[in-house]
Amino acid sequence: MDFEPMEDFERDLRQAFERRPASPGLKRKLMEKRRAHKPHRHSHFVLWQRLAASVALAAVLGGAAVWRDAEERRKGEEARRQVLTALRITGHALNQMNAQLAARDRAAQQ
Amino acid sequence: MAHDWQPDFEQLVDEHQSMVFSLAWRMTGDRGLAEEIAQDVFLELDKHLGKLESAAHACFWLRRVAMSRSADALRRRKVRGMDLWVEIDEGHGAKTEERTSPLGNRLEQLLSTLPEPHRAALVLRYQEGLMPEEIAATLASPLATVKSNLQRGLKLLRAKASSHLREYVRVKEQASGL
Repeated sequence: MDFEPMEDFERDLRQAFERRPASPGLKRKLMEKRRAHKPHRHSHFVLWQRLAASVALAAVLGGAAVWRDAEERRKGEEARRQVLTALRITGHALNQMNAQLAARDRAAQQ
Repeated sequence: MAHDWQPDFEQLVDEHQSMVFSLAWRMTGDRGLAEEIAQDVFLELDKHLGKLESAAHACFWLRRVAMSRSADALRRRKVRGMDLWVEIDEGHGAKTEERTSPLGNRLEQLLSTLPEPHRAALVLRYQEGLMPEEIAATLASPLATVKSNLQRGLKLLRAKASSHLREYVRVKEQASGL
């Protein structure tokens, strides 16, 4: 028993092998499964979010500590400068007083 | 490489569920298994959405993964022969009967008796209308192998049709006025 040419057989195959529609429930089931998988992905997201927040908090605290250290050093430097200025003024005043006393002594001797 | 295409998962499901389901069904011959495979393929797609560069890439990816998952399922379940197709014909219901002729159903049944590589090549050629080069890319097989599988599969299927489908010959003879 023989068939028509191969081209006709191939045409029949194309007709026979048309895509079949998926059942209407396939997409629904798929979306349900996808939703069920989401909390897992969500927990990963939350984990990364927490990690990022921890890194940010550590950076802020470290920055604050460095800033406080620098601020204290600046204040100490300022206080040292003020003390030196006060000592300079005092020294200058003492020198003036000393000079005046010396001048008075010289005048008394003459 | 940057790409502008923004994939929409639901839209991809709407567009390609029929393709993925049909590939899995014709490869495994089991409607329930085909639905499971289709779901797995789309869930896998969901994970890979960011890596897809275009609609054509998504289609190619879906075909490749559907064929690969079907082959895996076949290996696991060792599905073969005509028995499962009785289940399909019973399970698919009226919609199938409306869409396909008895001849089409019988050709599908005969397809299920072919070796897996022949079946894969024929399904991609006649369901998806792919060229041998595209089939080779989809199956990650050498082009010569795909061409050989196509030729042998086609001859084998035609020979089986000759010996099994008397109605096929009768219809054809009537159509040609013999």
